[in-house]
Amino acid sequence: MAKEILAAAWDGVLPKETLRMEDLPQPRGRVFNIQRYSLDDGPGIRTTVFLKGCQLRCPWCSNPESQSFEPQILYRYTACKMCGACIAVCPQGAVTMGADGIDIDRARCAVCGECAAACVQGALKISGEDMTVEQVFKVIRRDAAYYEESGGGVTCSGGEILAQADFVRELFKKCREAGYHTCADTSGFGTAEAMEKVLKFADLVYFDLKHADDGWHLANLAVPRDVIIRNLRLCALRGVPVVIRVPLVPGQNDSEENLTAMAELAKSIVPRAQVNILPYHKYGESKYRSVGMEYTLSHLRENTPEELERAAAVFVECGLECTISK
Amino acid sequence: MTSISKEEIKSVQVLTPRLQKLKKEWEDAEPQVYVDDSLLFTQSWKETEGLPVDVRWAKALEKRLLECPLLIRDGELIVGSLSKFIRGNGTLCAMKPHEILTMAESGKFDRKTSDISSTRIDPADLEALRADAQYWIENMPKVSSVNAAVELDMGCEVFDLLFDRGMVFEGRGVRYKMDRGLFQNYSAYGGGVAQVSVKCIANGLNYIIDLCSAERERMLREGDENSRGTAQFMRKYWLLKACIISCEAFIKYARRHADLAREMAKTETRTARREELLRIARACERVPAEPPRDFFEAVQCVRLYHLVCWKESSDRPEVPIGRLDQLLYPYYEKDVTEGKITAQAAAELLGALWLKIRECENLVTIPREQRAAPGSLLPNITLCGTDENGNDLTNDISWLVLEAMAQIKLSEPAIYVRYNPNMDSEFLLHALECNREFGGGNPAFLNDVLGTQRYLDRGVPLSDACNWNASGCLGYHLDSLEHMGGGHNISQLKVLELALNDGFDKRTGKQLGPHTGDVRAFTGFEQVLDAYCAQLDYFTKMLRRFKMISWGTEIADGPMSGLRVAMQYEDCIPAGLASREGGARYPEGRAAWLGSRGLVDLADTMTAIKKLVFDEKKTTMAELLDACDRNWQGYENLRSLCLGAPKYGNDDDYADEVYDELSTRVPEIMQQDVDPLTGKKPMLFIGAAAGHVGIGKAIGAMPNGRMAGTPTCDAACSVSPGCDVNGPTAAINSATNGEYSREYAGYAMNMKFSKALLNTPEKLRQLAFLVRVFMKRGGWHIQFNIHSREELLDARAHPEDHRNLLVRVGGYSAYFIDLPPGLQAEIVNRTMHELI
Repeated sequence: MAKEILAAAWDGVLPKETLRMEDLPQPRGRVFNIQRYSLDDGPGIRTTVFLKGCQLRCPWCSNPESQSFEPQILYRYTACKMCGACIAVCPQGAVTMGADGIDIDRARCAVCGECAAACVQGALKISGEDMTVEQVFKVIRRDAAYYEESGGGVTCSGGEILAQADFVRELFKKCREAGYHTCADTSGFGTAEAMEKVLKFADLVYFDLKHADDGWHLANLAVPRDVIIRNLRLCALRGVPVVIRVPLVPGQNDSEENLTAMAELAKSIVPRAQVNILPYHKYGESKYRSVGMEYTLSHLRENTPEELERAAAVFVECGLECTISK
Repeated sequence: MTSISKEEIKSVQVLTPRLQKLKKEWEDAEPQVYVDDSLLFTQSWKETEGLPVDVRWAKALEKRLLECPLLIRDGELIVGSLSKFIRGNGTLCAMKPHEILTMAESGKFDRKTSDISSTRIDPADLEALRADAQYWIENMPKVSSVNAAVELDMGCEVFDLLFDRGMVFEGRGVRYKMDRGLFQNYSAYGGGVAQVSVKCIANGLNYIIDLCSAERERMLREGDENSRGTAQFMRKYWLLKACIISCEAFIKYARRHADLAREMAKTETRTARREELLRIARACERVPAEPPRDFFEAVQCVRLYHLVCWKESSDRPEVPIGRLDQLLYPYYEKDVTEGKITAQAAAELLGALWLKIRECENLVTIPREQRAAPGSLLPNITLCGTDENGNDLTNDISWLVLEAMAQIKLSEPAIYVRYNPNMDSEFLLHALECNREFGGGNPAFLNDVLGTQRYLDRGVPLSDACNWNASGCLGYHLDSLEHMGGGHNISQLKVLELALNDGFDKRTGKQLGPHTGDVRAFTGFEQVLDAYCAQLDYFTKMLRRFKMISWGTEIADGPMSGLRVAMQYEDCIPAGLASREGGARYPEGRAAWLGSRGLVDLADTMTAIKKLVFDEKKTTMAELLDACDRNWQGYENLRSLCLGAPKYGNDDDYADEVYDELSTRVPEIMQQDVDPLTGKKPMLFIGAAAGHVGIGKAIGAMPNGRMAGTPTCDAACSVSPGCDVNGPTAAINSATNGEYSREYAGYAMNMKFSKALLNTPEKLRQLAFLVRVFMKRGGWHIQFNIHSREELLDARAHPEDHRNLLVRVGGYSAYFIDLPPGLQAEIVNRTMHELI
């Protein structure tokens, strides 16, 4: 079922072999992090559940481990003492000693976790654990008093949560029953059916808008724009409050022309949306090495305060409320 | 509430040009050793030979107050200087002559608030100080009466447990080698905490002098029902005399300032300054003899009280300032109503008071690792609270005090806010904003409801119970009604180390505890727990007896009581006893609190043993102990395994269960017998913020992964450094699973945040919610530290010790150690200014 949904959303844009959801029984979620006292993902004190796997390939992504749907070995090289215990235990012979840390041959690695179990430094761990709604809720529930006091709650983020919509729906349902506020943080890429499932028990949607142009989406993110726009319309249609989040990446989407087009687009679909600009940063850069990926935007600089203000002004001129994240 | 708006209060400029100048002068001034008070004390002591000891104390204070040099600096609004220097460091040779002599001979003088800078001394003063110290050394008994009495009653073994030997006990009063001056074994609070007393200020000292005189007359006329037929009669008679001498000297000291100000006014050419000097003169003529007439006089009065209490006990001057907002508000309200004062003017006066409070410094002679509360002089100020009817007492002064604290940015005084659930949210937010501006850690929040409840639990009526304030280091007491003694503590992790070694201490090579079995042969975790409890039981009994004997011999040295009797006049005058002897209304604390230090380290160590040895069998007791003996050398992987074991503070059921079990067992053992002096259950103090470095030095490597000699956890229920990885809500949950706060005093939680994690009003609001939940769950004391540059630098060098250091980077928060080196450097470079 999950596979079909994804395939439908796929539109043949990405190679199909990366899609192996059959070993992911629903409604289990593939979780790569549960962050408590999360203050940036919705109102109040929140617990954010990060789900693994995303079809988008945004080059500025600050959580590269969130992209693959598969569990991965995460290598925190700052903690590594190069003892070689992992090399000794790897059944695949995928680990070798490099100059300033170990090297993992990701093609060979079967993500069996032997190395992580052998690593007493905690430098290796498996990212991506399949958890039931009950298991995740058990962690969420521990901070109930804080949600109640602060008007906070639970956010599902990713990765792309629409790819695990059944899980999100069930988790949100359980949260709503318990009286916790729910927030869906999405790129908007997924089937309409998935979007509907997520919206069913969501109190708020954080919806990413990255660019106004369809061609740009295909060229840079490897997904079509219209699926995203359709889902934004669905949010508006179902009357769930929307915060539109715009990662402002220098030279990628920060031209005045594009911002104006995005503002008009947003305004036309969700006239009362709040817009939140996320300044570009490179803080995820070090994590790329952890999952054996390469960061391609090292040459970019951060936004200047003036650029951020100017971008915000574009949305404000269009009649939208706009804030800049710190 | 007055007509003054919150906006007006928030826009006050505390550091006016005048205060900027005064602050700068102080910062630039070279610290100097101030000897006059010490010499005057000695001179007086020689002059009063043969008189009752209480009177001698009072006379020694009188001599100093009447003859010490005065200083009124240009621009000062609030006067009263510790010394003739802008930055003088006081001391009394009478208290610790050997240590002073050592300093004088080495030429190196240490200040209480700094571990780095030394202090200058005038050559003539140096000579005088040396002679002064010599006098006391020659004229004091060569044997410690405490040690002699303890040896007689308990034998010599107990000495091996003391803070300067085996370090099973911790605290100032539990050392073998005390510097024997006038007091044989002067423990932390010789006379009890002398506090800036609301009632004394409001009545005026003349009122108390009259009370004492009338009581003495009455005793002559009709005798005294409380002491009839006993030696206590004359004791009381002289104590009252001492009280009168002290109070009169205090009044004269204020009037000397008035005279000086008037004298200075005569030659002052600037009209405005002349008016200020005359105003100072009028105030110092009035207070402390009579009640202040306005806010200005009240602030001046607070300053003088703080200073004189300080001078009276230069060895260990912890003078809590108490509930300053409650004390000052009536005067402020009256002035505002009459149009005599603005928020701005009040703020400047508070700022002036802050500078004067911070000026007080004293020399320290105790070795650094044995110092309590290093870096602090503990002039605590308490704000807010509730009255008998549960009404929130937050007022304009509460707001202004926080502004003064945040803007002046001095490391002291420390501010405590008594949090209650009905407290105005805006005030809570203001307090957190000020904390952020200040750079963290100030104010701390105490649970108002719980503080009062603890007194109610002890049978104190509500009208008194609700009048508590912070005092000492993590302590609290009732203004003017209670004796507050110092803590004698047991180092819990040390006890466990001994339990793991069958009572044998490898560091000193002595059998310090009883034989509780070879843990290598233990087959279950319960056996380890039982061995530990048996050790703790033994040490508790030793400490209680040591404390009792120590108290008795210290009392014989005289309770340094004249001024303190005045402060607690309602009860100490009729009883004819100083608070330390039981004269206070609630004397339970006089035998000092029984303290426990290092509960978190204890729990983490026990958890690692339970998990790794008995549950998962990943290692054995034998291997663990070998590894600890070798300080993990050659056992690095085992150490990592231990570090990775469940830790307290993560909302982890496994670790928290062990913590909960120990948190129940420890008080059961330590409170099993009543305090022999009071007949009541001893108060249990679980401090740590001070002694953790000291006790850590005597403890070897332990199965929680610690290296030998490193500090134990920094506060009672804080998470061990580097051990909380699930964030602040998890840490709070762990700390508040049980009702520990109700039993334990000093149960403090210290949390570290980066400034950037608090950089928006919205985020600050979330922190306020964190405080609310903490209190709702029964927490006692919470404070938020904002990391310093040093800490960040250390985190770069030793990332394993800083796993919990959260920093805010761009659009998200991250653990500092996970960031790439370049970014770390950048964050290090963008930290705040330093505190002085």
